[in-house]
Amino acid sequence: MGGLGGCKLKGEFTINKRTKNKRIKNLELIMKKALPYIIFLLLLSWHAFLFAQDRFPRPEFETGYTYPTNQLPLQRAQVWEYIDVAVLIGALAVAAWLALKKRSRQGLIWMSVFSLAYFGFYRQGCICSVGSVQNVSLALFNNTYTIPLTALIFFIIPLLFALAYGRIFCAGVCPLGAIQELTALKPIKLPKTVETFLASVPFVYLGLAVLFSATNSQFLICRFDPFVGIFRLDAPYTMIIFGALLLLAGIFVNRPYCRYLCPYGVLLSVFSRFAGRHLTITPAECTNCRLCEDSCPYDAIIPSNPEVSTEEPGKSRKRFILSFVLIPVFAVAGGFILYNLAPVLAGVNSNVRLAKEIRTENETGIESVTKSVAAFKESGKTEAELFEGEAAIIRQFEKSSPWVGVFLGISLGFGMVSLSLRSRKNEYRPDQGKCYSCGRCFKYCPIKAKNGNET
Amino acid sequence: MVMKLNLTEKDISVLKVVSQVAGIFSLIVALTMIFSLVQLKIINPLDNPVILSVKEQYDKDPANASNAEQVRAMDLMARKAYFSSRWQVETGSYLLLAGAIVFILCQRIISDNEKAMPVIPGARPDVSAKKGKNRKYLIAAASVIMVTAIAASFMLRAGLPEPMSKPGLSAGKSTKGSLKAPEPDKTNWPFFRGQDSRGIAGGKNYPTDWNAEEGKNISWKIEVPKRGKSSPVIWEDKLFITGAENKDCEVYCINKKTGDILWTGSAGNIPGEPDVLPRMDPEAGLAVSTVATNGKEVCAVFANGNLICFDMNGKQKWAKNIGVPETSYGYSSSLVIYNDILLVQFDSDKKISLLGFDLETGEQKWETPRNGRPVWSSPVLAYFKGQPQLIINGNPAVSSYDPSTGKELWEVECMSGDVAPSVAVNSTMAYAVTDYVRLVAIKPGPSPTIVWDDNTYTPDVSSPVATDKFLFLSTGTGDVACYNSEKGDTLWTHYYMDQFYASPIIADDMVYFLDRSGVMHIVKADSHYELVAESSIGENTDCTPAFSDKKIYIRGRKNLYCISK
Repeated sequence: MGGLGGCKLKGEFTINKRTKNKRIKNLELIMKKALPYIIFLLLLSWHAFLFAQDRFPRPEFETGYTYPTNQLPLQRAQVWEYIDVAVLIGALAVAAWLALKKRSRQGLIWMSVFSLAYFGFYRQGCICSVGSVQNVSLALFNNTYTIPLTALIFFIIPLLFALAYGRIFCAGVCPLGAIQELTALKPIKLPKTVETFLASVPFVYLGLAVLFSATNSQFLICRFDPFVGIFRLDAPYTMIIFGALLLLAGIFVNRPYCRYLCPYGVLLSVFSRFAGRHLTITPAECTNCRLCEDSCPYDAIIPSNPEVSTEEPGKSRKRFILSFVLIPVFAVAGGFILYNLAPVLAGVNSNVRLAKEIRTENETGIESVTKSVAAFKESGKTEAELFEGEAAIIRQFEKSSPWVGVFLGISLGFGMVSLSLRSRKNEYRPDQGKCYSCGRCFKYCPIKAKNGNET
Repeated sequence: MVMKLNLTEKDISVLKVVSQVAGIFSLIVALTMIFSLVQLKIINPLDNPVILSVKEQYDKDPANASNAEQVRAMDLMARKAYFSSRWQVETGSYLLLAGAIVFILCQRIISDNEKAMPVIPGARPDVSAKKGKNRKYLIAAASVIMVTAIAASFMLRAGLPEPMSKPGLSAGKSTKGSLKAPEPDKTNWPFFRGQDSRGIAGGKNYPTDWNAEEGKNISWKIEVPKRGKSSPVIWEDKLFITGAENKDCEVYCINKKTGDILWTGSAGNIPGEPDVLPRMDPEAGLAVSTVATNGKEVCAVFANGNLICFDMNGKQKWAKNIGVPETSYGYSSSLVIYNDILLVQFDSDKKISLLGFDLETGEQKWETPRNGRPVWSSPVLAYFKGQPQLIINGNPAVSSYDPSTGKELWEVECMSGDVAPSVAVNSTMAYAVTDYVRLVAIKPGPSPTIVWDDNTYTPDVSSPVATDKFLFLSTGTGDVACYNSEKGDTLWTHYYMDQFYASPIIADDMVYFLDRSGVMHIVKADSHYELVAESSIGENTDCTPAFSDKKIYIRGRKNLYCISK
């Protein structure tokens, strides 16, 4: 009995040991998975200066106490700007290697953590390539503005990488993409109608952002950056709530900002379509097993299509020609609509809004008490000057807005043309315009790389 | 290698509980933070009524030490409360983030573990059909955006200005609605006080330093054949001025570069001309009104009622007598041309009116009677909200007329006495003044209002000049004043020893005040007094100078001077 008991005990011991080993292994894996989040949490220790602004007057001391003199933080040394550029290029190179050569989804997650740490929390989301679109457009249309070299480089380099390797920047370098990638948990697909409608928003957003920055009105992208408030832990709380809601939505509808808002993504998408070497779903030849067909939450996989449509070729050709002919029609219509919208769009400019307030004040006789009106009245400027400035801004918008309409019309036209093309594909491959090179699809492919690199 | 956790159901349950606890914790922290944030944003602790009342008590009795102590204690308490709220929000943000991270991490692990193996979906997708559907969706999305944009362009216009005039449209192409005051030209000085009679010169680099007695910076000087008090006007290279002796009235065209008289046009022997000279100030004579030109015609009016029009080469186009304008000091209103209409402000003891003549034929197109008594001011063209208006400083009303039709647009009764200064205008207001009466700023419109008035500095002859920031005037007693044109505050004043009859002119951000002894006082057109220079022609003058192509033309009692750097 003792022997049997001993045997049983030994067996129990072996099972317990195996369970224990399994638990330890699981714990290790959980820790590994948790590590990015722990680092993410530690990053917040940089935010000791939260709410550092004065809220109300200082106390009136009568004890001879002298206030310490205000200390202005020193300007960031120029060398750090170059370090930022070097980090950007390095991060893009590593991300490209991870996505294309190493084919490591886990590596890209780590890259996201690094980018979130450096470009997000350390650099506090500024300067970012997404916002640099505005610096470029302001510089293009205003002789008085000189674009910082770093802003220009931050704008160009990710586009060049997109031209070479696809949207590597989105995969693990953009802090906005990184924070969404880390919180994307249970992907669901939106109805195609909603998806198509929302996917057209970035084009409008890009057009308006360029228009507003070119007219020196405002930096729309920075103002409504949903995550910069989280990076800095300081923003109007409406923006923090917007950011939090976007992250919550992103748990299910992954990367909502990248897909339905990001204006830089429009440019990256265009460049990525012509990428010399893009990430592939399979490391070798596609066997058309279809296992990856539904793996992409961004609907960025083009299925194989060995049988060309049964539709008559003549009909498709006619549709293609019609779509092509419609491009200038869409462009003109867009230009006309945006020209009509110009005075409304000019309302974004603070001087136009101020003029509107003053006009309302004059018409109603009710004195406005807003800070901008009070500041204007103290400035010594005349209403005539203000209204003249307002008229000049509106004229500027009337000149510029049609071009935004033309851009939107042309984008629509080319979208229609691309949807009218007949093509035959024998393999499953990423849609180079839409693919974020995030590597989610790697593990769905049963064919593994020969060098066993894939993780 | 794909990392795959092999979690048991028990592990999953634990993770679910942890996740739920983290989620509820985050939710509670978030709600507390929102409450604290709202408090921080909307409540100023020092506006607490208790503190305010304690402070009030202290102000009434500052010697009371216990009151002071109470204020300090309350103030400290308010600050502590405020900083506690801040600490709560700050700490809460870390707790919230920690909770959210735990929640997301647990969810991620659970979902990774629950992830089903990839399965082959149903039927192979029909790419062509998918593209067809996408085309429809794209068109639908574009339509929604388009309709939204069109609707927004109509619905969100409230509070925006009326469509403004397009730059490049020359003034006077249309009669109403969308015109803008033309910028003063650097070469042409077409009327009394220049473009639109507003007293503002175009161009830059006008001389500030000259001395006629020493010949310093005097390009040329000629004696005007016949005397007069009319001011010079200029079109391209031609300068026009009038003179009269007894009944002989003449118009002179002078080469503005050399001072040579190019032609002299007689304005005598016109049918209807009175045999007897009308009542007038003997010093002033018949040639007081300044001519007007549009580069094709030059028109002059004299105090005997003779109205004459020449082409630019001195050929008479038409002439007529419009009736003798009998007034106590003699007729002095200058002419203005608007499009193809010559505008004559006719003031006599018998009638006062505004006349419009066809510039080409001299035919009277309309006459608008004016109410009140005769005045000695001149009409001024203004553009308010895109509408061109001819404004007359009258007695008792300052009135505005459509320069194309003569239709009265508005009037404000605010003047009395001998009204001689013309109005000053800027883009929003008209300014009228009369000595011993008052200076008023009028906001024009169907129901015009007096925005501000003052009676400290009131010119008797000289007209004020206005920008959107400043109003400058010079008086018959030697005072010069600058007002905030919008609000009426007196920004600065300066007293000179001599009187001013000539009207001040703004040129190159400076104001040129010419006194009766012929000294030009040049000051910065700014909110503080800063004298730039004082230069003299050494001869008395009452005429307003003309500015053209970096040169200033001043008519003295006898001579006409061209001043250049």
